[in-house]
Amino acid sequence: MRLMPYLVSAAAVAVLALVAHVITRFLPLPHVSVLFLAAVVTSAALWGFWPSVFAAALSVAAGAFFFYSPIFSFMVTSERDVADLAVFVAVAALTSRLAASVRSKALEAQRQRERVAGLLAFSERLAASTTDSDLHAAILEHLEPVLGRPLQLLHPGEAAPAGWRVVPLATERGTAGVLAAPQPGPAADPEYEKALLGQAALAIERARLHREVAEARVKVQGEALREALINSMSHDLQTPLAAILGSATALESFGEHADPRTARELVETIRDETERLASYIENVLDLTRIRAGQIAPRLELVELSDIINAALRRRQKVLREHRVRLELPPELPMLRLDLFLMEHALANVLDNAGKYAPAGSQVSLAASVEGGHVVLEVTDGGSGICAADLERVFDPFYRGPGPEGRPASGTGLGLAICRAFVEANGGSVAALSAGPGRGTTVRMRLPLPAP
Amino acid sequence: MSEPRARILVVDDEPQIRKFLRLGLEGHGHAVIEAATAEAALRRAVAEQPELVVLDLGLPDREGFEVLSALREWSRAPVLVLSVRNRESEKVRAFDLGADDYIVKPFGMGELLARIKAALRRRLEGAAAEPVFRVGGLEVDLARRMVRLDDAEVRLSPKQYRLLQVLVSHAGKVVTHRQLLKEVWGAAHADDIQYLRVFIRKLRGRLEADPARPRYLLTELGVGYRLRTPDQLAGG
Repeated sequence: MRLMPYLVSAAAVAVLALVAHVITRFLPLPHVSVLFLAAVVTSAALWGFWPSVFAAALSVAAGAFFFYSPIFSFMVTSERDVADLAVFVAVAALTSRLAASVRSKALEAQRQRERVAGLLAFSERLAASTTDSDLHAAILEHLEPVLGRPLQLLHPGEAAPAGWRVVPLATERGTAGVLAAPQPGPAADPEYEKALLGQAALAIERARLHREVAEARVKVQGEALREALINSMSHDLQTPLAAILGSATALESFGEHADPRTARELVETIRDETERLASYIENVLDLTRIRAGQIAPRLELVELSDIINAALRRRQKVLREHRVRLELPPELPMLRLDLFLMEHALANVLDNAGKYAPAGSQVSLAASVEGGHVVLEVTDGGSGICAADLERVFDPFYRGPGPEGRPASGTGLGLAICRAFVEANGGSVAALSAGPGRGTTVRMRLPLPAP
Repeated sequence: MSEPRARILVVDDEPQIRKFLRLGLEGHGHAVIEAATAEAALRRAVAEQPELVVLDLGLPDREGFEVLSALREWSRAPVLVLSVRNRESEKVRAFDLGADDYIVKPFGMGELLARIKAALRRRLEGAAAEPVFRVGGLEVDLARRMVRLDDAEVRLSPKQYRLLQVLVSHAGKVVTHRQLLKEVWGAAHADDIQYLRVFIRKLRGRLEADPARPRYLLTELGVGYRLRTPDQLAGG
């Protein structure tokens, strides 16, 4: 029992007795007891029922002793004074009850607020947890102070340390985990604890479901990719192989009597188809490398023009019949990039320009500094892209219609690889087009190195 | 100009690759010696003194690099390295060990023949080093330390001239970043590629009409630089 409320109540009664004494010396006050109600009400409001009863009893005693004749005796003789004190006791009792109940309601409301705030903070902390270990730490961090004892969080079925008590964290779908504590602590606020445990259980379950969904999605994507790859491979591998084998055996069948022109055409077919096969395999290997997470850029300060010239050299065959224009500002700053990833990304863009733009048209490369970036644009006068497909062109296996309306040759992997490589260098890439038949611009934004 | 003919050692463990190389090279007048392993390659190189070596880096018994460095201990015959792996660190290592050129599989016969021709010609010309190197409008007079571009004298700082001099002495060949840094700035600076890039930018500013599309001083991405010979300039 705390003493303070009683001591203060007693002091208040004493002070009021003094005040009453002073007042009654100057003017006769018939109902001194009313003054003491102040102490009773205050005591009830601040500390509840029992301290106010104590204050009322003290007030009755003080009134009887100091103010009701005979003075300085606890005796009360006048009937009027007895009635006065009786009324006082009745009023004090009623006031105490009322004030105490108001106080306990206020306290309850406060506790409720704290619980809600605690639950809110807990659920926010849980929602912010991204990993399982983070989630577990958050649960223990919040529950230990509330439950007032050390805890362990176990998986369902996992054995708790010997002698520890376990509390299952149950949801509608089963047990998400088990809390273990060394001894049963006093349940200070069972409702609140239950709410916290419920939150923890839901959070653990949500994390598990989330993980399962993500795993399922990866699996589906993996399967879709594999299927697309097999479909694409069966065509893109078999067609050139058939052409090569066919041409070679045709050449063989002529023996020494081959017409030189026919022979040359067959040989050209073999060469072209082999090149196509090689570039196809290169793309598939790149994509596999990206998927396997093996792309780790080696960043160094490099000349963008070196990268552009290397990519142009690699694509000189497919761009042989195009007019290539290069516009680089003379003092273009060096960039922090991986030479080979960027050269590869750009070569893939140039390959598309060569394939989708008609012979004789212009392919231009222009670089400029814009804010903290260097923007490199490759613009062709080719078949263009309709607005709906501007993003799709970066999807693996997407192939746009070629100059004659048929899908262009290739794997449909070039721009997907380009985007992965540019992003690995901290840049971004987007396709722009005024529409079908009106050319395409591929816009790469590359970060300028910090000064 | 007559086509140079040579005795060529082909080192590759894949029989079908050796077969098409033999057919292709013999069809163009070269004599071909074959080896399928590193050990056989070194043995045949000693026995038959080839004038050029075509070397695959992936050999069953030992790494192709070992053949290269063993060969370089006593032979100056040009070595052309083949590899399926388009890895730049391999290129750099091959050049640093003394390879003359590098071709990534798959490659065409035409390209291989051109590289062989260039390597053989360089070896012949290297024997009688001219005091004046000329390519396009660029003229470097090594005896008088004078550089002229389209008949106008070009002033270079001593380091810029030294850099150009090293490139001229290896004209037509790729010179790796390390080689250039070592020869111009000394072994302590062999890894300051950044520094070299800045110098090349300045040198191109003096020697190239359009430094963004250099005609003479080419970048081999991630490997080094190459000063083109008149042949290479004509070949595009």
